[in-house]
Amino acid sequence: MLNEKRFDSGKLLHLLGGFFFAYLFFGFMLLPCLNTLTSIFTVKTASGEADPWAVIRFFLSGSMKTFVWNSLKLALCLVVTVNVVGISIVLLTEYFDIKGAGILRMGYMTTLIYSGVALVTGYMFLYDSDGIITTLLINSFPDMNPNWFSGFRAVLFTMTFACTSNHMLFLRNAIRGIDYNTVEAARNMGANPFKVLWKVVFPTLIPTMFSLTVMTFITGLCAMSAPTLLGYDSINPEIVRLAGSSVADESFPQARAALLSIILATFTIVLLTILSSYERKGHYLSVSKTKAKLQKQKINNPVANVLAHIYAYVLFVIYMTPVVMIIIFSFQTYSAIRLKTIDFSKWTLVNFIGQQDYEYLTARGTYKTRVGSISGVFSNADTLGGIKMSFIFSAVAAILAAVIVVVACTYIFKHKKKGIALEYSLLFPWLLPTILICYSYRVYFNSSEVWYVFGNNLYYGPNVRFLIIMAYTVVKLPFSLRMIKAAFYAIDEELEDAAKNLGASALVTFLKVKLPIILPSVLAVVALNFNALFTEYDMSATFASTYGTSYAMVIQAMCLEEGLYGYNVNASGRRCASTVFIMIVSGLILYLVYGVGARDLGERLIARDKRRKRIARIKALFGKKTDEVLA
Amino acid sequence: MINLKDIVVKFGDFTALHDINIEVKEGEFFTFLGPSGCGKTTTLRTITGFIEPAEGSVIMKGEDITHVPIEKRNIGIVFQSYALFPTMTVYDNIAFGLKIKKLKKDEIDKKVRDIAKKVDLTDDQLQKAVSQLSGGQQQRVAIARALVTEPAIICLDEPLSNLDAKLRVQLRNELKKMQKDFGITSIYVTHDQEEALTLSDRIAVFNKGFIEQIGNPNEIYNHSATEFVCNFIGDINRLEDATVEELNKRGAKLDPKKHHYIRLERIHVNSKDENMEKFDGTVESMEYYGLYIKYTIRLATQTVKVIEKNDGSTPFGVGDNVSIAFLVSNIMSYVPQKGATDAE
Repeated sequence: MLNEKRFDSGKLLHLLGGFFFAYLFFGFMLLPCLNTLTSIFTVKTASGEADPWAVIRFFLSGSMKTFVWNSLKLALCLVVTVNVVGISIVLLTEYFDIKGAGILRMGYMTTLIYSGVALVTGYMFLYDSDGIITTLLINSFPDMNPNWFSGFRAVLFTMTFACTSNHMLFLRNAIRGIDYNTVEAARNMGANPFKVLWKVVFPTLIPTMFSLTVMTFITGLCAMSAPTLLGYDSINPEIVRLAGSSVADESFPQARAALLSIILATFTIVLLTILSSYERKGHYLSVSKTKAKLQKQKINNPVANVLAHIYAYVLFVIYMTPVVMIIIFSFQTYSAIRLKTIDFSKWTLVNFIGQQDYEYLTARGTYKTRVGSISGVFSNADTLGGIKMSFIFSAVAAILAAVIVVVACTYIFKHKKKGIALEYSLLFPWLLPTILICYSYRVYFNSSEVWYVFGNNLYYGPNVRFLIIMAYTVVKLPFSLRMIKAAFYAIDEELEDAAKNLGASALVTFLKVKLPIILPSVLAVVALNFNALFTEYDMSATFASTYGTSYAMVIQAMCLEEGLYGYNVNASGRRCASTVFIMIVSGLILYLVYGVGARDLGERLIARDKRRKRIARIKALFGKKTDEVLA
Repeated sequence: MINLKDIVVKFGDFTALHDINIEVKEGEFFTFLGPSGCGKTTTLRTITGFIEPAEGSVIMKGEDITHVPIEKRNIGIVFQSYALFPTMTVYDNIAFGLKIKKLKKDEIDKKVRDIAKKVDLTDDQLQKAVSQLSGGQQQRVAIARALVTEPAIICLDEPLSNLDAKLRVQLRNELKKMQKDFGITSIYVTHDQEEALTLSDRIAVFNKGFIEQIGNPNEIYNHSATEFVCNFIGDINRLEDATVEELNKRGAKLDPKKHHYIRLERIHVNSKDENMEKFDGTVESMEYYGLYIKYTIRLATQTVKVIEKNDGSTPFGVGDNVSIAFLVSNIMSYVPQKGATDAE
């Protein structure tokens, strides 16, 4: 009797779960994207006749190819430059003995706490035609081209340094995982450090470098914020432009956007297939049982040593200048920012908080005052609105993605065979560029004929917020699945048996035993997803809706409307302050994830004891003092 | 106390257990012994309810519990990995089962501290994380956690196999003492024959999903029921056909169709006992163990291994001419059994 009842409720749960995942997969992944694909072939000519090959013909004959070539050019160049810089910074901080490696590492890692629009606007702030550094350089070299930082060069320069985060995370781990005994063995047989690097160290890094190369290539192809802001005609900015264009202005813009996003998707799918088939071949793993920790290699040749040090610190300056300048200028007044000179006598917090009036001379020769046109990040309605919007979107999506994946993982681990279909359906968005997903949503749901959302137009008005949250969630599913699945592997099956044996039901076992074990990983995933989404630009820009103006869109807008008619006078300062705020939030999240979150119960208990002792000591100290005072 | 009746367990097409019949008595220390993959853990998991048998029944105290869910069986288990919950303190690990039973807080506290005292865990250790304890301490936590809910039976699945040799022997003794003190019916799974012999009241020897023999340690060792058991328990010499022939010439009456075995310690070097059969040989190698010395001696018909107590007499060297002697009554004979000799 009892067993039968349980069986039924279990069956109902499976049914509900199956329905939910099918709805998610078909409704919010497959159908919208298929719609994009088919829209390419359902183009109508001006006379209303169907012409399935019109877009393809247009593509082959017209200028559309340029965008694809430009993207490919960028991706190829980035593979070279990012690998050179990425490998350099990892070797300089982890392999060679460079003085001040700790500080260098901090500098090289700054891209982890600010990226995307914040980073690009930071670079523009320095290198633009009226940027601080360009101004400085022109003062010294008047013949210099003030517009040197634009187009391809600017995008390549910016992205080269912006896209080394993955190297700093994964290549660094790989190099730290090298068995030092193999290096010692090679040295013992007479190889110099460079020979060891080339013959022993590099071969073990090849799998990681291959993955990084593919990832960099995809990043280059799908670049969005840098080309948009710096003006480079690559695929993604064009898709967004076409998506917002109308048939009145040009021929079939939507179908062209669809074609471009499908081209992008094809590239991504091919590259990822190559990558995963390569990864399946297996890696070079260390065969030693006990690994010796890698020790830094001293460069014996004095000339090479000095050159390596110079190279390391030049890179450090390139990485750190935007960060330092942004922090300094976030505390400077609008006039200092406008003159691009640091005024050491005047510091202000107005870019962060508070309001000031602005008095200016009009064309009629009278002074006019704009009330409150200088305002800080947290006192400016637009900026605050963007922060609030992004905060809610990212938090909801990050939590939603984690919950969906945790539920999916419990199923995947119980039903190994049937779980595979579920796993692949959740990995599906990984194959598609985020821009394709967002573009597809924008087009597909901009209609009241989608039956499974009850005929609601999800792109219309505030509904778009739901759509953005769905896009954020779906895009983050593959990453969340990979991370949380790894955490599930850490649950010893005997733990579940033990809990059941002690009388716990399946639900209690999950809540009290399994969940606490995976919780640190789940929270880490939530935090990392939140971090990425909070400052994302590509997706919200694709939706381009006034009801879903994200924080990054607000920051981007600040570049455009600085000081017009006495409005937004301190836009640049506020942008700096915004970036500082982002760096603090991201830094805090990374600290929580990798610093606090990585501790196990034992380490937490030790930390708690230490804290208690410290408090007791302080109390004792004060106790003594009050005693003395009383005496 | 607990009865397994005609248990059959199948994993797909593979039959893991064939007609297992075991009766464990109240207060008994009963061991399932066998090589890996023999079905001993499967049998244990059938008793605890993690596996439902295809046929047969599990009877506990006269009640059929074959289809009773795991959490309602009141059978404690100590896992090979201990399966201590890493996110809980030692205290919370032990209290887990009591909390599930919804006991009152002060009652839980009393029970946890009582059992902790019995297994020698201090109050300080109770507040620690499991990862802060040593292997031996972790084992005691696992035992305390299994015992605190006062189960009718406690099952131990190779609980010593993750420990180093010295700790293993030490904890083996502690385990036996604890079992005596608590007087609890225990079912113990191991592949280590020495562990089985020292700990158990009775042993069931498993092989390929069948039970080969059930008996007390002496019966298992000295009166092995099957060729597999005599090969699996302890070191042994198989007498080759030429040796058997020679013995029969001397009037031993050994069936030449059977396989004949003699244990190492039943053979003596240079014995003067008149009742023993003697063979001449030379020492081929010696292994020095301290407590005893193991010789490999080449006879005219075969080589045999012999153990001599290290009793102070000068050990023999390689190449020494010696004689070996044994009683024919110490020979164990078996109808040949397929796969019996490759057990080790």
